[in-house]
Amino acid sequence: MDAALSKNGARVLRVFFALVVLFLYAPIVILLIFSFNKSAVPSFPLSGFTLHWYHEFLVNGDLRGALETSAIVALLSSLGAVALGVVASLALTRRRFHGKSAVSALLLSPLVIPYVVFGISLLLLFHTLGVPRSLLTVVIGHIVITLPYTILVIVPRLDQVDVDFEEAAADLGAGPLQTFRLITLPLILPAIVSAFLIAFTTSFDEYAVASFVVGSRLTFPIYLYSALRFPSQLPQVIAVAVVVLLISLTVVIAAELGRRIVERRLERAPS
Amino acid sequence: MAVAEAGTAAAPPRRRRRRLSLATPSLLGVPLAWLGVFFLAPIAIVAAYSFDVYSLYPGTHGFTTAAWHDFLHSPVYLRLFWKSVQMSLIVSAVVVALAYPLAYYLALSGTKRKYVLLLLLIAPFLTSYLLRVLAWKVILGNQGVINSFLFWTGMRSPDHPISQLLYSRFAVMLVLGYVWLPFVALPIFVSLESMDRRLLEAASDLGASRLWAFFRVTLPLSLPGVVAAFLFVFIPTLGEFVTPSLVGGASGYMYGNQIVDLFGTGFPDWETGSVLALFLLGVVAALTVVFSRFLRSGQAAVG
Repeated sequence: MDAALSKNGARVLRVFFALVVLFLYAPIVILLIFSFNKSAVPSFPLSGFTLHWYHEFLVNGDLRGALETSAIVALLSSLGAVALGVVASLALTRRRFHGKSAVSALLLSPLVIPYVVFGISLLLLFHTLGVPRSLLTVVIGHIVITLPYTILVIVPRLDQVDVDFEEAAADLGAGPLQTFRLITLPLILPAIVSAFLIAFTTSFDEYAVASFVVGSRLTFPIYLYSALRFPSQLPQVIAVAVVVLLISLTVVIAAELGRRIVERRLERAPS
Repeated sequence: MAVAEAGTAAAPPRRRRRRLSLATPSLLGVPLAWLGVFFLAPIAIVAAYSFDVYSLYPGTHGFTTAAWHDFLHSPVYLRLFWKSVQMSLIVSAVVVALAYPLAYYLALSGTKRKYVLLLLLIAPFLTSYLLRVLAWKVILGNQGVINSFLFWTGMRSPDHPISQLLYSRFAVMLVLGYVWLPFVALPIFVSLESMDRRLLEAASDLGASRLWAFFRVTLPLSLPGVVAAFLFVFIPTLGEFVTPSLVGGASGYMYGNQIVDLFGTGFPDWETGSVLALFLLGVVAALTVVFSRFLRSGQAAVG
């Protein structure tokens, strides 16, 4: 007898699980259906199949520009966050120092700050310093909020990697940078890649903080938010939504499966 | 750095110790400086602003608690804050209650594909937040998917759509719940997964029913995960302003929207806005500190 769950209990939970998954994916499927719908208003009855809205958004220069801007912002901020996250994680796992728990609490604290509070704080800072709002100010904000995610992904991986490898390299005369490049980096690469992807997708999608510090070049979420106020733009926004949602779902699932395969291989390799 | 390395080449045992003491500040320096300048300093500026020690507007300024006094005696702001607390509490409680059986199924039913199913559950959370809100806007509107479906099938006359679906408190809570549900299962799953299953077998050997074992063994042991899950929803939804501004209308207006409006273009009042922001930050910080203590003591008791 299973102590946790009876046969019937398991059956009920399986049905419940399926219903929740249905609830989670139904809105995405509904968007998918209406993105091919002829009518400019997303409502029943369906009025026929068209690729018009996809074509509309492909030729919409503002929209493409916004996607491009977001890609640049996300790339810069995820590279920045991963770089800072790696050195911070190395310090947290490989060094002993006073106040480590306070330092790690500070490094993770952007996780809990309400974005509206952080957004206005950054706005006040840039006003005070006289820094004009631009892509750079968005990148600065995004590095702050994605840094904790990179640390949360990289620290556990560093904990798994045997310190003996690094010490052996150091004993054989490798400098700290060389040890990192030849030993540590390859071993934590899967975690670095998934940290990068998490930071990238977070930044690409981030609206709240960006809305306070964005300049004249709009990021994709900011563009999307303003487009939502014009019903005439809705159908092509739905088409974009479908494309972005499907791409991000694919990337997320591929990245997670890939990371698990690579890590399993790395774990097997030394033995 | 070069001096240190040259000096250590002759004495290998000393090298490592010296490298340790040199490297820690150089590793931590940049991340901490970044957070100091772009995270802590901005909050300090908001604090200074709320006491009028500092202002971007011309005029005489000096330390005053006037804005704080007005805020703490303003029924409007405090009532709005309380309304947001209630909405976030309901959303968090419902979402945790729904996520618990999901996590329980994944962790304890012995299904072989549990990590695939977990990924299936969490994947929507990792896609665009704004687009998932957009989906509900399309679904809930007066001419939206649900209403037009009801008209089409004749279950409701087009003159009388169910108008409370969109631009209401209900819409805000539904969308927030939808957005956070996938994520919340994760911490509960982790705490159930790490539980020693022999405890359940022992309980059953000693004659406890499954239900009794659940309430006496499983639930208490998974409580840290439940509390963490609750906070992971409650904290961000309390300060939420994006979802209410898209689907909330007037009745779904939350505390976060008020902060945005005070910094907005209509009637900006940055001093009052700073007070509201700092108050929210204080509440969130206090919650985080109290509950992380609780979580740590919980872990100590379990571990």
